[in-house]
Amino acid sequence: MRLRAIRSFGPTLWGIVTFLVVLAATAPWIPVFLLTVLIQLLIFSALSYSLNLITGLTGYVSFGHVVFMAFGSYALAFGVGTLNLPPVAGVALGAVVGLALALGIGLVTLRFRGVYFAIATLVVAVAALYIVLEIKELGDGQGIILNIGFEPLSWFYTIWVILATEVLVTYWITHGRIGYGVRSIKSDEDAAKSVGVNAARVKLFLYALSGLFAGGAGGVYAWTASGAFPYQAFNLMFSLQMLAMIVIGGMGTLLGPLIGAVAVYIPSYIFLTVLIGFQFIIIGIVVIIIALFVPEGIVGSLRKYVPELRGFIE
Amino acid sequence: MTRVLEVSDVHKYFGGVRAVQGVSLNVREGQVVGLIGPNGSGKSTLLNLIAGVERPTKGAITLDGRRIDRWPAHRIVGQGIAKTHQIPKPFLAMTCRENVAVAVMFGNREQRESAKALGEAGRMLALVGLEHKADVLSSNLTVQERKRLEFARVLGTGARIVLLDEIFAGLSPEELRDAMNLFERVQKEIGFGALIVEHVMRAVLTLSEHVIVVEEGMKIAEGSPRTVVEDPAVIEAYLGVEAAHAAP
Repeated sequence: MRLRAIRSFGPTLWGIVTFLVVLAATAPWIPVFLLTVLIQLLIFSALSYSLNLITGLTGYVSFGHVVFMAFGSYALAFGVGTLNLPPVAGVALGAVVGLALALGIGLVTLRFRGVYFAIATLVVAVAALYIVLEIKELGDGQGIILNIGFEPLSWFYTIWVILATEVLVTYWITHGRIGYGVRSIKSDEDAAKSVGVNAARVKLFLYALSGLFAGGAGGVYAWTASGAFPYQAFNLMFSLQMLAMIVIGGMGTLLGPLIGAVAVYIPSYIFLTVLIGFQFIIIGIVVIIIALFVPEGIVGSLRKYVPELRGFIE
Repeated sequence: MTRVLEVSDVHKYFGGVRAVQGVSLNVREGQVVGLIGPNGSGKSTLLNLIAGVERPTKGAITLDGRRIDRWPAHRIVGQGIAKTHQIPKPFLAMTCRENVAVAVMFGNREQRESAKALGEAGRMLALVGLEHKADVLSSNLTVQERKRLEFARVLGTGARIVLLDEIFAGLSPEELRDAMNLFERVQKEIGFGALIVEHVMRAVLTLSEHVIVVEEGMKIAEGSPRTVVEDPAVIEAYLGVEAAHAAP
């Protein structure tokens, strides 16, 4: 049974897995400067897959997704700085905090639909910043500075594991019974309930997974930044970039979040070093163009207009 | 075991609007019960109450003696009661086969494997005469085909009691005859119990063994199709007081 499932893995999954394995195998020989850029790209990709799990698959737009990343960052900073955990354990703590937070927030906000859900998640993210600013143990509004080493290979392999897990989980969810339930919810939630889909549970499950991965990615982010700082960690630009990544790449697809992460991160990186602030204007324009003319994103459009590719993309 | 759905003295108020006021009825597995009444008399609300889409303000709904009126919709489907939508709600981004397969995998059957569910979905589509559209996206179906898909999806859940909301509306006389034959054939084959809300009198009176008439949320008559159409209260509800007096 398991073996048959593995043999039927589509070319996209094989492609992504091969790409990741090659990266992992060559990482020790990649020049440090390039490796740090690559690590940031992988963090962005992990965030992109995380948002894809809830927004891409169900259509529930989580506008405040940065909150899971931020709490993941703070969990690592607190775990390493105060509890003296090794950084990898700090990342795991970040993932657990992200999961717990998503369960709590999701239980309330997933009752809202459409734009109300988006607004609710946004409000939570903004409120969370002001709560964190007041907590003494979390840096008393100043953030937490960590005195930890520069270990690009550890960063790389940690975020690599998170990303690889996300890819496999996304594949598993989209290719089984749950996948049918998820698609039915995205298509018409009331009709899904009327044929027996426990929509509330499916949505909460996806949101919790999404929080788990975003929390872990946030942990790695704080590790690379040697600390967590409120206005940086809770910057809503992260939310917007995550949304831009899945919109550009293709919502709910397996390959889309990766393509979107590359498409958003590379220009961001270039403009960050050349014209600070300019990157958001570019991303904004690109998102508007995509939303207007290719609403299914790069991968979604390929699947739609080149049906022969369907087998390859799924 | 024959399943029995029992609705006892159910009320539903929407603010000041009393949509359903103390209706009671029974549907056994294998039995077809018709529910008729003028527009706005609370028929669809009653179906929504049974299906768990709305919760009754007062009263009880039981399945084999167990209270189900506080259960969420998906759990009621899991116990073998499923409803079609008056305005069909297909999963537009899916093929017909996938539409029904979702119902097979999540409904009242113990079928969780997608490959087998897709096969079973094909059989359900054949039952309702949609097998030639099985691999067509449901967004490409006509309204009448969408209604058949709704029916196939309800069958797909493995429901033992089905709630059908105006599935015979808007058909030409020939289409109606075909649809009624199809319904009778499928009902005999599967043996489900059905509560059908319908405006098309010919369908209700031919298919049901028992008919319930509601007006303004209250039950005003019930009995065999023949006795119900001759009931003066029913004639009055449909045609007005003068017509009722004129009736023989």
